[in-house]
Amino acid sequence: MRTRILLTVIAALVAAASASAHHSYTATYDTRNQVTLTGTLVQFVFKNPHSFVIVSAPDAKGVAQRWSLEWSGVGQLSNQGVKRETLKPGDEIVAVGNPSRVPGEYKALLVSLKRPLDGFTWGGRAGEAVD
Amino acid sequence: MQHANRTLTSGLALAAATLAGVVVYAQLDGAGPGRELAPPDIAQEWRLDNNERDTFGQAPLGDYTGIAFNDAGRMRSDTTPESIWGTLEYQCRPHSSPHQWRGLGGARILKEQDPLTRKVSVYHIQFMRSLDRPIYMDGRPHPPAWAPHTWTGFSTGEWIGNTLKITTTHLKDGFLRRGSPQSSDMYSMTEYLTRHDDVLTIVTVIDDPLYLDQPYIHSTTYTVAQGSSLTMETCSGSFAENGGSDRHWVPHFLPGNNPALTEWLTTGDPRSNVGPENWVPLEAARGGLKTLYPEYRSTLTGATVDAAKASALTVPTLKSWTPASKAIADQSPRDGEVHVMPVQGNVYMLVADGTNITVSVGPEGVALVNTGSAAMSAKVLAAVEQLATTVVAATRPNQCFGATCPGVWGWSSPYIFTAINSPAPVRPIRYIVNTSAAAEAIGGNAKLGPAGSGFRAGGVGGVVDAVEGAPVIAHENVLTRLSAPAGKTPTAPMSSWPTVTYFDEFYKFPAYFNGEGVTVYHEPAATTDGDSIVQFRRSEVISAGNLFSTVSYPVIDLEKGGSIQGVIRGLNHILDLSFAEYRSQGGTWIVPGHGRLSDTADVASYRNMLVMVRDRVQDAMSKEMTLAQVKAARLSLDFDGRYGATTGPWTTDMFIEAVYRSLQEKK
Repeated sequence: MRTRILLTVIAALVAAASASAHHSYTATYDTRNQVTLTGTLVQFVFKNPHSFVIVSAPDAKGVAQRWSLEWSGVGQLSNQGVKRETLKPGDEIVAVGNPSRVPGEYKALLVSLKRPLDGFTWGGRAGEAVD
Repeated sequence: MQHANRTLTSGLALAAATLAGVVVYAQLDGAGPGRELAPPDIAQEWRLDNNERDTFGQAPLGDYTGIAFNDAGRMRSDTTPESIWGTLEYQCRPHSSPHQWRGLGGARILKEQDPLTRKVSVYHIQFMRSLDRPIYMDGRPHPPAWAPHTWTGFSTGEWIGNTLKITTTHLKDGFLRRGSPQSSDMYSMTEYLTRHDDVLTIVTVIDDPLYLDQPYIHSTTYTVAQGSSLTMETCSGSFAENGGSDRHWVPHFLPGNNPALTEWLTTGDPRSNVGPENWVPLEAARGGLKTLYPEYRSTLTGATVDAAKASALTVPTLKSWTPASKAIADQSPRDGEVHVMPVQGNVYMLVADGTNITVSVGPEGVALVNTGSAAMSAKVLAAVEQLATTVVAATRPNQCFGATCPGVWGWSSPYIFTAINSPAPVRPIRYIVNTSAAAEAIGGNAKLGPAGSGFRAGGVGGVVDAVEGAPVIAHENVLTRLSAPAGKTPTAPMSSWPTVTYFDEFYKFPAYFNGEGVTVYHEPAATTDGDSIVQFRRSEVISAGNLFSTVSYPVIDLEKGGSIQGVIRGLNHILDLSFAEYRSQGGTWIVPGHGRLSDTADVASYRNMLVMVRDRVQDAMSKEMTLAQVKAARLSLDFDGRYGATTGPWTTDMFIEAVYRSLQEKK
């Protein structure tokens, strides 16, 4: 019981540490808007304080770009079942994210992610948000 | 009587005991006759109390309420996005010092004590995402203005009663609080740390002479965190978080094009669920000196500001700082003197009457990057010789005794040789590099070149001997600019011309010099068509020449083939060659042509500024604005106080014109 309480406290602390990133999500991304990207995963960078999913996907003009999708840190994602080997280069994915506030910047804050091949999804369930 | 005596004796004993107790107590806490009360001990773990505004969460973007921004500070903040954190050079920077106390993760204060007096000589303050921050308590002065700036700056402290007053200078540019309000790199900070029982109150006063008309002040509260340990977070930034494929991408908003600044008018302040209808009016939320005073309310009718009333309103001004222009000029003093600044490895920076000369000193001799003005030649030569003597040839005290001392030729007391020794003659200037044809780059060639002796390789017998004078290396366009065909008058006497030129992308010194490789890179169409930078590969130092200055906009000579695009390319090249040591500071040191010693973050800041100005001018040109209109629009207002000038040889108008014409020519 005591161990469970301790783990809960630690988890809460880890979550709190991730919640206040060195930079501000709301200042970086336009959380009122979303962009949907369909493309190929180039790399999954599983790290603290933020993970990143690098995707090759077309921009609004249809030109392929390297998109950098910011995700949660290792602790939060692990609690949600996402691990280092969950995503692989070459995966075809559909990602929804809040776009950067800066025009011409190819990055977004991940809102949801799907891999149609096996039905893997993230986002929308309780706790599955980058905050 | 006996009872009375006993009572008296007991009373005296009690009094004596009490006094003794006082004395003992006084000795324990440091107080007593002629002794001040010892300051409280602040060295321990502290937990942030999130009960003050902005300690958790952040103000909406564009909300500068409570900040005495001038127009330059407001413009810089409006145009600098949070995405700047994603650039390679800033990914690992810690929070800026004004915000650091309010960052997550608590604080740790450590202390170093003099082992004899037990006085605290240095406090160290650490945060979850910070560098170690020493607070020197031993009375040492602050470094000269040409010393580097860091994220935590240089701090000294003194106790005033039970309050520790910390004064910090030499800070890099950053932000006042999370979100967007920016600071320049000329701000200083005064903090007052007061401990009451288990509560530590920190009052922070930020003086930014470029962006603020009055100091920005906030307080933060910590409580003792007994038994806890500060969380440490290292940084693992390693790729372009901003996406895309341009590693030199600089995110920014064009003036007037940041839609987020008024977003809160519809969303309100998420921290307190205050709707926009109950928030301060937009104009007041944009900050400014007058908005800080209650009298400002008299200019409001509802949410509308009466411009005439606001203009007529007078409020006190509390400017207390040294004028920014003087502080900037001090980074490159034109005082007729030569100041020596150790850099790293073999390399030193000479600040010679407003021009920096980079010097490599070692057992093989001296290499100079640029020679300063002709008028300073004698002083520069004397400083170089003194530096070489100190570094290489100085007699050192004997450090060993008796027959166990090492010796090759048979033993004799090293003490004898130390006592009767004299310094060996210093090795001469072996190389000179000119990074451009500018007067301050080549001015001392005529005197310093002949004073040196280059290497001559080979010859029968294989003796490496000296040739007359040190070779002067430069891109061949420098020679072209300085010389002239027979019958025509050159722009500089032959004694100032380079003697070894290169035409390609780079030139390598023929062999290691002072134990390292030295590479001279050409930076095409930068301030001129002959610019070079010089990399000292083992010392990890780059001499940037006139591509980089911390005291002015780059002096771009269009007539000699310069361009804004070339300067930006050259700065990007410097960044590509450089490394930060840790958390986006230190590592490779960059010696600017003028101004303080710098690192990658400083070069990035300068590069970012030029990109922002270039893009603003380009945008104005796309709207078919004339040069006169562009100048009148003051598109570089947020940087003019830092790098601009209204008089002198290189004014802001001249710089803007150079940018404008560069873009017309599309180099």
